[in-house]
Amino acid sequence: MMTLLATAAEHPNALEALSKTFGLHGAFFAAQVVNFFLVIIVLKKFAFGPIQAMLEQRRERIVAGEEKLKRIEKQLADSEATTAAAIAKANEDAIRLVAEAKQGAAAFTEQKAQEAIAQAQQILTKAEAAANADRERISAELKREFGRLVASTTTQVTGKVLTSDDQHRINAEALAKVGN
Amino acid sequence: MTRFLVTTLGLWLLAFASAFGAEGAHHALPLDAQPLHESLPITNSITMVWLAVILIVIFCQIATRKMSLVPTGFQNFAEWVVESLYTFLEGLMGAHLTKRTFWFFGSIFFFILVTNYLGLIPGVGTVTYGGTPILRGGNADINMTAAMAFTFAILWIYWAISENGLKGFIAHIFAPKGVKGFLFWTLMPLFIFVGFLEIISIAIRPVALSFRLFGNIYGGEQTLEKLMALVPDYLAFLPSLPFYFMELLVGFVQALVFTLLCAIFLKLICDHGDEHESH
Repeated sequence: MMTLLATAAEHPNALEALSKTFGLHGAFFAAQVVNFFLVIIVLKKFAFGPIQAMLEQRRERIVAGEEKLKRIEKQLADSEATTAAAIAKANEDAIRLVAEAKQGAAAFTEQKAQEAIAQAQQILTKAEAAANADRERISAELKREFGRLVASTTTQVTGKVLTSDDQHRINAEALAKVGN
Repeated sequence: MTRFLVTTLGLWLLAFASAFGAEGAHHALPLDAQPLHESLPITNSITMVWLAVILIVIFCQIATRKMSLVPTGFQNFAEWVVESLYTFLEGLMGAHLTKRTFWFFGSIFFFILVTNYLGLIPGVGTVTYGGTPILRGGNADINMTAAMAFTFAILWIYWAISENGLKGFIAHIFAPKGVKGFLFWTLMPLFIFVGFLEIISIAIRPVALSFRLFGNIYGGEQTLEKLMALVPDYLAFLPSLPFYFMELLVGFVQALVFTLLCAIFLKLICDHGDEHESH
């Protein structure tokens, strides 16, 4: 570098000679600068601008997609947890309802059984009462028939027409002997 | 083995090129771009640059005409190219600087690449009108490479000052780094001297950038021309054929080198702020 500077100092027209040798020309240089800026503007406007915008848009979309995916995964996990909780709750409710139903059914069965027992008891009581009534009625008829037969027999045996009092008395005596 | 044969053949042909230098002198590509008309400041390299601009516009139009979130065809290719370069530069300069300056570095890379490859199309530099080639490789003209390099130099100063502030920019060049207190003041004169050397280095950068690109592209084209001049016209394509493949590689490498050097120069000056904060 120092040698270059020394050479430049020794030959003040070195730059001019260099320019002449290699054809460095002010107007051509300016024209090429303009051309170069033209290239830059063209590439920036028509190539790098749209392409970089598209790349950026795609990058943003990928980032948004990733975020969305994470959100969806979280929502899915939440949904699965909610579903599991709902299923567990439903299961608990079902168990409780079945237990309640069983309990209710047992109570109902008991109630119906009690009712049936009560009805049976009632029927039995009624039947007993009816039987007693029939027995009383038959007994009264038998007594009456027996009294009539006794009175008839007594009349035939004794040949005596019995009065109403006689008949009552004979009936009462006969029934007193048979009654027990 | 193939590489050995190609290299040997190349050297052999180059030796012949030197031997027949006097005969091939009329085939030599001139160092400077030739004006197409005396009254217009338009050279054969400027027309080449316009051609490159037209091609780039056409490609961009096709690639970005119907942009969709699911890319296909040209859009897919364009996105792949742009994204690859962006990611590469991001790894080098960091996210902030790349986002801010990609329009420049992307432009410079693709422009140099397209111009270099256009210069390899048969007929460029060889089809003449009135003894002047109608087309000449865009980067085989020092005006073009200098235009890019000096544009970068101006932008470099702007970005460096806007990123560091004027005080930080000057401190980056002159102030001692990584020392404090007594040592700071003791080393100050030395670092001021180093700062002046740094300024000279910065001033030489665009010149070096210009001549590096120009030299490589001009040298490549000159080699191809010299090789073609070695044989009869109907076989002219043959000796230069292997070098066309090498020039394809050189065209890409030089575009990358120019872009990378510019990116590194910018990264170096903008690194100061972060380094300063970390101490």
